[in-house]
Amino acid sequence: MSSQQQTVKRFSKPVIIVHWINAVAFLALYITGLPLYTDFFSWMYGVFGGPENLRLLHRIFAVVFILPVFIILITDPKSFFHWIKQAFTWRKSDFQFFAKFPKEFFGGHVKDMPKQDFYNAGEKLNSIMQIVCAVILIGSGIVIWMPHLFSTGIIQWAYPLHNIGFGLAAAVVVGHVFLSCGHPNSKISMQGMTKGDVPVDYAKDHHGKWYDELVAKGEIKEAPKKKDKGA
Amino acid sequence: MTTKYAKLVDTTRCNGCRACMVACKNWNDLPVDPEEFKGSYQSHDKCGANTWNMLTFTEHVAEGNRFEWLFRHTACFHCTDAACVKVCPADAMHFTEFGTVNTNYDKCIGCGYCVQNCPFGIVELETHTDENGTEYELAQKCVMCVDRLREGDQPACVEICHMDALIYGEKADMEALAEERLAEIKERFPNANIYNPVGVEGTQTFYLLAEPPSVYGLPENPRVPLSATVWKDYAQPLGKAMLGVTTMAVIGGYISNKLFNKDDHGADEGEESNE
Repeated sequence: MSSQQQTVKRFSKPVIIVHWINAVAFLALYITGLPLYTDFFSWMYGVFGGPENLRLLHRIFAVVFILPVFIILITDPKSFFHWIKQAFTWRKSDFQFFAKFPKEFFGGHVKDMPKQDFYNAGEKLNSIMQIVCAVILIGSGIVIWMPHLFSTGIIQWAYPLHNIGFGLAAAVVVGHVFLSCGHPNSKISMQGMTKGDVPVDYAKDHHGKWYDELVAKGEIKEAPKKKDKGA
Repeated sequence: MTTKYAKLVDTTRCNGCRACMVACKNWNDLPVDPEEFKGSYQSHDKCGANTWNMLTFTEHVAEGNRFEWLFRHTACFHCTDAACVKVCPADAMHFTEFGTVNTNYDKCIGCGYCVQNCPFGIVELETHTDENGTEYELAQKCVMCVDRLREGDQPACVEICHMDALIYGEKADMEALAEERLAEIKERFPNANIYNPVGVEGTQTFYLLAEPPSVYGLPENPRVPLSATVWKDYAQPLGKAMLGVTTMAVIGGYISNKLFNKDDHGADEGEESNE
């Protein structure tokens, strides 16, 4: 039973809180921006009581979307910088990950996945994409919000940039949400973003390097060798 | 392709009487837009939400130290390749059966994309208040009196113009007329030219200018901003396609996991190894 499995701490309380603030803000921004992206959702103006309300909500959630960076910098800067450092550190094992990943994604079982960091290469890619998109979205969003402060050329380019950031971020989020809620091999990782810990087995399978570090530090004992199913 | 109709503005005939401004306010029920006196006969700096057309008064010293007082009736250009129509997310800016650009106030959401992307800086937002006191913004600009056109009438400004400086009709006829008049005035205005910019594939308000466009403060080569093309022709369809691809991958992944991923792994692992 998973509840009886030995677990190991993965994320701190502040990390979990800012992750979910960010997630809620992202979803809210996505929804309130949708009718501007495609006419197909124009009925939403009626639901929210007119475009003015949607615009106001979009701005409120924009502020909520920016807040987590400041919150984490105050409450747990160590985790924040660890994340940033890891996301931008790419080794051979990270690139190898993507050769093996599709098989795993579609239900296969990869036996020889190179050992991954605390953040595996998929999480690193997700992090980089979201960081880049957030910078694009927030930067262009400020221009669109306060056009009187900027020249026409900058305002005109802010629209396509906001659009590109939106498209990229949304596409990445679809994958991120699926791997944490829908994919049988990785959905156990969700526990790391709710309770803050993950099963040791999961850590070993998906974050080999991190697991080795934990063993080396003596934080967990080397798990007994797994029984092979057929044996 | 439908027949295009156009308004030819012959600046060389205009005597600056401003009847077109009055007729426009009258017909379109636009409130006054009081302005400070700025030392010129020109009433407003530019077209605005409540001033759909206006006259610019330009003092110009032409070749041979010749002084010219240049009048130009300015209003929405009704571009053939209209940036406002391209960027409008609500389909409010649209082409009419006359080839002009009209605003659908029921669809307009006041986002202001058209305001920021108009190559001529014509469109403006205007705040309206409905019967419940709710404020909302709508894009405003000359609509070429489309309601009059549909009744077979001329635009209000054209009808009132007593100098024949404004003429409305089929675009082809107007272009021919412009060429004819250009030939007539070439002697007096050697720099005269027809301003029907190709960058936006021609405009349905087009000009016979006495001097180069820049003298009138007009862009020499207006076009739909590159950013608008990148945005609407590339980023948006690509973004939608990408979202579709990732969604399909996720659905595919979900199904194939349901079908093939039944052996020991992940969450089930502990449970099974305890057996």
